[in-house]
Amino acid sequence: MSENWVLKEGEAVELLALLITSARIQLDEPAHYGPLRLLTATERLSGMILERASEKSREFLQGNVERIPELHMRMSDVDDYAAGLDGLCREVAECLLRHSTLEEDAS
Amino acid sequence: MSDAVLNNIRSRRVVREMSDQPVTRQQVETILEAARWAPSGGNLRPIRYIVIEDAETRRLIRLVSPGMFQKAPVLVLLCLNEEVMIEHSLPPSDRALLIDVGTAAQTIMLAAHGIGLASGPVTSYSKEAIRVILNLPASYSPEMFICIGHKAESTRRGMKAWKKINWRDLTHWERFPQA
Ligand SMILES: Cc1cc2nc3c(=O)[nH]c(=O)nc-3n(C[C@H](O)[C@H](O)[C@H](O)COP(=O)(O)O)c2cc1C
Repeated sequence: MSENWVLKEGEAVELLALLITSARIQLDEPAHYGPLRLLTATERLSGMILERASEKSREFLQGNVERIPELHMRMSDVDDYAAGLDGLCREVAECLLRHSTLEEDAS
Repeated sequence: MSDAVLNNIRSRRVVREMSDQPVTRQQVETILEAARWAPSGGNLRPIRYIVIEDAETRRLIRLVSPGMFQKAPVLVLLCLNEEVMIEHSLPPSDRALLIDVGTAAQTIMLAAHGIGLASGPVTSYSKEAIRVILNLPASYSPEMFICIGHKAESTRRGMKAWKKINWRDLTHWERFPQA
């Protein structure tokens, strides 16, 4: 993994606020809102680090992560929602590989 | 009922992307005055409206409100005032109080729509964090935000319905048959 600092302290605290308050409100909300909150945090974090992120991450951050708000709106179509999330999972795995020594070894 | 009222009811949609265009004080006051006419159980009027225009306060509120997607220029927080409940011996658990929140919220949203503004209700926030940020009196229970502003040009579509419903699916006429 590269050692770039991509998050400022203020941004990190904002993200903590989102995660903590999401955990609390989830106790009172339908279970399917759980993914929504995690994706909202994903979207925020991605927006915070995009400017300072390396090329290795940019492709991922500017891909389907940017389309997360549209994905939220489709959550009532479970198959479509799952397919969208599967796409994000594949992309984050590819991003992990770009940062990993596995990929460096192969090249 | 006039067509204008029905059209207003039918065409209002929750807006989750708003522009920076400000809302005037007069528009806010028109909306709050309309809310005063919402029906209220026992005519007790247990709701207090807190209006937030200050940019930094709105920013902090959004940070503890995971369900607030819009960056609205005006937030109206509907609070139940426990002092009214104590005065009239109502238990705070009385569900009719939340119906008051509902009638007020819908009145606010329809009034906003009626004067060309966009709105969106939000209940997904931490009540405790909101208490701290707004320094709320202990007797105020923050029940719902209504975000008010102007619809952004490229606004995202609303939430896709779980299933298509019409009013008939939601309605039952007369007595239920005996089992
Ligand atoms: C009690 C209540 C709480 C709501 N909370 C939120 C919320 O926290 N965030 C949000 O974006 N929308 C919220 N909504 C808006 C609903 O999602 C919206 O009304 C619904 O999807 C139908 O859309 P429409 O009003 O545009 O027809 C809430 C609505 C109600 C009645």
